[in-house]
Amino acid sequence: MRTRPRWPALAATAALMLAAAACSQEEAPPTAGEGPAATTTCASKGDLTMWERSGGNKQMVDMLVEAWNTKNPDCKIKLTYIPHTEMVGKIAQGIASGEVPDLMGMDLIYAPQFEKAQQLVDLTDRLKDWSELKTASKGHMTVATYQNRLFGVPLYADVSALFYNKDLFSRAGLDPTKPPTSLGELRSYADKISALGGDIKGYYLPGNCAGCNIFTVGPLMWASGAKIEAAGPGDEPLVGDGVKQVLQFTRDMVKSGNVHAGDRTENGETFHLQFGSGKVGMMGTGNFNITLAREQNPTMKFGIALLPGMAPNSSASFIGGDLVVVPKGSKRVNDAVNVMKFLLSDEVQVEVYAKALNLTTRSDMVDNKYFKAEPLVQDVAKALTVGRTPYTLTFFEQINSPQGPWLKLLQRAYYSEDNLDTVIADGKKEMKAIAAQS
Amino acid sequence: MRRNRRSAVVGFAYLAPALVFVLVFTAYPLGQMAWMSLHNWSLITPPRFVGLDNYERAFKDTQFWVSFRFTLWYTALITPVLIIGGYLLALLTSQNSLLRKVTRTVVFIPVVIGLGVSSLLWYWLFSTDFGLVNRVLLDLGWISKPVLWLGVDADVSNAAIIASVVWKVIGFGMILFVGAIQAIPTDITEAAQVDGASYRQRVTRVILPLTMRTVLLVTLVSVIGSLLAFDQFYIMTAGQPQNETATSVFYVYLNSFPYLKLGYGAALSMILAAFILVFTVFQLLLTRRSHA
Repeated sequence: MRTRPRWPALAATAALMLAAAACSQEEAPPTAGEGPAATTTCASKGDLTMWERSGGNKQMVDMLVEAWNTKNPDCKIKLTYIPHTEMVGKIAQGIASGEVPDLMGMDLIYAPQFEKAQQLVDLTDRLKDWSELKTASKGHMTVATYQNRLFGVPLYADVSALFYNKDLFSRAGLDPTKPPTSLGELRSYADKISALGGDIKGYYLPGNCAGCNIFTVGPLMWASGAKIEAAGPGDEPLVGDGVKQVLQFTRDMVKSGNVHAGDRTENGETFHLQFGSGKVGMMGTGNFNITLAREQNPTMKFGIALLPGMAPNSSASFIGGDLVVVPKGSKRVNDAVNVMKFLLSDEVQVEVYAKALNLTTRSDMVDNKYFKAEPLVQDVAKALTVGRTPYTLTFFEQINSPQGPWLKLLQRAYYSEDNLDTVIADGKKEMKAIAAQS
Repeated sequence: MRRNRRSAVVGFAYLAPALVFVLVFTAYPLGQMAWMSLHNWSLITPPRFVGLDNYERAFKDTQFWVSFRFTLWYTALITPVLIIGGYLLALLTSQNSLLRKVTRTVVFIPVVIGLGVSSLLWYWLFSTDFGLVNRVLLDLGWISKPVLWLGVDADVSNAAIIASVVWKVIGFGMILFVGAIQAIPTDITEAAQVDGASYRQRVTRVILPLTMRTVLLVTLVSVIGSLLAFDQFYIMTAGQPQNETATSVFYVYLNSFPYLKLGYGAALSMILAAFILVFTVFQLLLTRRSHA
């Protein structure tokens, strides 16, 4: 039986599909659903908006964005830097007012707060089958996960390690190929380097910077078997003999003149310039300092080792950096997921991260041609295997705040004669009180 | 009667723009802040009504009162320096010779720089390792080793910050004082001179009384600004050592944003605003009295 031609209906359907395709540039509100299969290119056209904190690894983020924009000229990422100290408040205000970017870089340490408050898009079902996640930085993945749901992937990694000045080692009669493997050795090496006199000191302690200290002194405690922060209400902070042992070690370092007097004023502004000055024998700092120190002091020879604990060959590191997350209210969740896929791809890991001598965010990508040609990066990459990231909903209040108990505890240990048991007990009390409110 | 009503309407029409401005930009935000102060609100979670709990907590919060006392101390120290210093500079430069005009301009230039920028500049100048201040003092032989200006000793830190703020804002008071001094009719000062009054007598008996309203105005502005001090302490000491140089607004900021306790931060702000209001009313009463 011959029926009437259906061209008008087909045309109408086609028009509707085209309209739907056009509208798909503004996707429906995010759900925890699976969504389309992720690719490393954009699913739709139009600029993607992204926020990133200004105090992070700007150079790396700029390169990643440039790589994406080159590959996706019709779907460029429009990146806005927010001052580091304003980021949490800015995100919170953006979420409250509905003015959020399509995706954002977030200091990984703050992620649990936003995950708990359900302000980030749950990406579990979209990302669960990605093979890349099996080797993604464990520290990042720990804080990107809340109640077994996944909310982001690593954007970049900063790890802490012990940088040591080989020139000063040689001058002090130390073997520049043998960095300290315990805090006892570190102390004796520092004594010898400080004995060189002049403006040279064996070690560096940032006396007025909470963040610098959790990055570089925290691992000394972890490597000595201690636990620092209270994860939540009822959890005990500052547990283990390592806390007191490391505080005693740092107090002794200050008293014995192994650190510059000016270290006491360090609030983080000049932290990155200290090792490159060539006046510090050993210093806990991050992978970002490799390039900086070379630019600052091209002739200085230096090496990198893991931050040690009390026992010989014990070590630890702080894995910091940023996650890429999708804020609730983002209109381009599919494309944000594609950016994540792009960041974790083999090509970007090697040709962007590794080529720029930044740490790869996947451990299986460490073995690449660029790192092989650069032993220092290989050395610092070892920190990824012993590193950790604290998990607490009140990280800023407990640890990072200039008025918080962590900095107070350290300053009393470094610069006062207060009994260390009392110092630790006071710190515990304050940290527990803060965690109890979470 | 009808004419009276009409003039009242016209008067209200003249007043309306200012009234709308005050309602939108002062009354509404203040009401909103009062509402927030009665809630537990982190910005990323919905607000929960807690009544006066935030205020109760604020009155027991030792750190808030430590910060408040420090803020008062800072205000008490810097205000006389700004007022007396600004007035002396105004006396020196109030006449319109070329050198005095140039001096006024030079002193006033830092006023147009943002406080955040000037604080960062002074942070580097006071840096122990990289700062110019220590370098100059060492080269002059006035100190034998670098001074730890910021974040180690509360008094030294406070003195360094006061020096930086005085450099930044003293020109503001000076310009207002110059304006007030220049507005004094010359026949009054000349008459005093003819009567044999010395320069000191002319300043204390003629110029100062005739510019007292401006002095009180500058004092009011300066005190309010100092009670709300934030940028310079946030950038230069971050409240250190041991939170001894943390100001009230710094503590409000920490609670409101990094700690995400917006309701509690609002309660602290309300307490601070109430204090400033009391001071302002007192100051305005003084101003009115001096006018009478």
